[in-house]
Amino acid sequence: MGYTITEKILARAAGQESVRAGDEIMAKPDFVLAYDFPGYTDVYFKQMKEEFGIEKVAEPERFGIFIDHMVPVASPKEEELHKGTRAWCAENDVPLYERKGIGHQVAAEVGYATPGAFVVHFDGHISQLGTFGTLAIGLRRNVLEAFVREKVSIKVPETVRVNLHGNLKPGVMARDVFHHIVRVLGPSSCRFQVLEIGGDGLEDLSIEGIQSITCLAMFTGALTAIVNPANERLEYARSRARKELEPVSSDPDATYSAVHDIALDDLEPLVVIPPTPANSRNLSEYVGLDVHSGYLGSCASGRLEDIEVAARILEGRQVKSGFMLHVIPTSHEIMAEAGRRGYLSTLAEAGAYLSTSSCDFCYGRIATMTEGQRAVSTGTLNVKGRMGSPDSEIYLCNAATVAASAIEGCIADPRAYL
Amino acid sequence: MALKNLRGRVAFIFEDDDFDVDQIVGVKNIKIQDLDELAGLAMTTYDPEFGSKVQPGDLIVGGHNFGFGHPHYPPMKALRHLGITGVVAESFSPGYWRGEISMGFPQISCPGIRAFVDRWDEIEVDWEAGIVRNISRGTDIAFEPLALADRAMLEAGGLLEYLKANTEENTQ
Repeated sequence: MGYTITEKILARAAGQESVRAGDEIMAKPDFVLAYDFPGYTDVYFKQMKEEFGIEKVAEPERFGIFIDHMVPVASPKEEELHKGTRAWCAENDVPLYERKGIGHQVAAEVGYATPGAFVVHFDGHISQLGTFGTLAIGLRRNVLEAFVREKVSIKVPETVRVNLHGNLKPGVMARDVFHHIVRVLGPSSCRFQVLEIGGDGLEDLSIEGIQSITCLAMFTGALTAIVNPANERLEYARSRARKELEPVSSDPDATYSAVHDIALDDLEPLVVIPPTPANSRNLSEYVGLDVHSGYLGSCASGRLEDIEVAARILEGRQVKSGFMLHVIPTSHEIMAEAGRRGYLSTLAEAGAYLSTSSCDFCYGRIATMTEGQRAVSTGTLNVKGRMGSPDSEIYLCNAATVAASAIEGCIADPRAYL
Repeated sequence: MALKNLRGRVAFIFEDDDFDVDQIVGVKNIKIQDLDELAGLAMTTYDPEFGSKVQPGDLIVGGHNFGFGHPHYPPMKALRHLGITGVVAESFSPGYWRGEISMGFPQISCPGIRAFVDRWDEIEVDWEAGIVRNISRGTDIAFEPLALADRAMLEAGGLLEYLKANTEENTQ
């Protein structure tokens, strides 16, 4: 009986010949990542010194820290946090990525998405490194274990396999694939397991699209998502990889707890209605609903294909008067390329508000909504209060839908514009 | 160190699956740090008199995928402040589970628990036997065993204590 890619990666990280789902092991992460955030990194840095007597990490190249929240800062207190982070990284010779973009994307750009690597973070959206055959798990507070010990305790997860088939129709994007997965499998379908995506339909999706899907894995209950590394994904990751590792893939006879097939041709644009990421609906049911703002960005979306489709829809058109459209490329690398291709000038001329990469739009730190307001968003989450007042609402959808809705001032079907 | 059995009444049953725990204190209160203030707000939308009815040792019962969404720590801090000693649910969302276990707060995954109890029944979580006893009804039901690391973390009283208790493994 064969092994899943997850079992293979964890076996190597645990220094064992093989492990099986259900085994409780100690595994050494190849990389330990975090962004600075009050109550997380500032606490770890303090505890490392004061509770564990660790003045300097032993293998600084295993660590990577990002400053992507509270960028730019709005108070001296926030700047103090960043100052402390910069100082810790300097003292420990740990690489720091500040103002390069949203860390989960930058992590792929700078090579932490090494195929075959085991990566931990406190934030679960790091799952998107799975696009490149990297097993990346968000541990919440428990990531402290990886800051003070070489290995972390982990129970080898089972895997749910989802095979995609066929091709997406125009106006339907990778976001819709993920929200469809939640709809048909359910928000607890992959609890404590790994969501492994495969099938011939995978090759119809771009790297960016697969990053959108793997980023959101937690809303199926999954610990992370992963894809066998191959083709352009493998080339991208290998050319940037920070570590020499043999890429691994699931064996054809690997054991899965469930296998699902999804026909991409059958999908239509979806919208995820508040207040939970479990609420996937057909977009057509909500067309015409008034919205006040649109957010195109986040670690889930906001990449070149998202910005391209928005520019295509908005070219020669205008954002409706009074509607606030925010377009925030996921990273500087993406923003620069979107500029070279002319997407940003098209969006600016259409009336979009453009900003350099930051996590802050996604959780309401800026562009904050007040009571009674409603947004269409490519952000990660639509729970109450996520983008401001608990009495505002977030409708999650793909980037094309955000652009079409910006023109009409209400939820709109992008297919009319494509 | 053995885990001490939990014994108390079922102070509330969240019937809904995929329950978002932030609702316990309300999203608008999620940034409140003061425990007395938080505890005063907790559960008021579900039962305005919750704070006066609950007793130290009581437990909470939940449905499937308890803790789904984007769980924050204050709601359970508030419930612990009111004396709640654990949550028994049909199943849990992993992010919530990991967060609360790291706080040393017992979480018991027990398929069938909703039908097994009524509100205010007296129950006991017997760690060694691996069962939840309904003292009021005189019945019992098995729960899913804890992973070794989760159990060790609960025994230690939380993540920090767990890591400090195993300092020989701290190799950085």
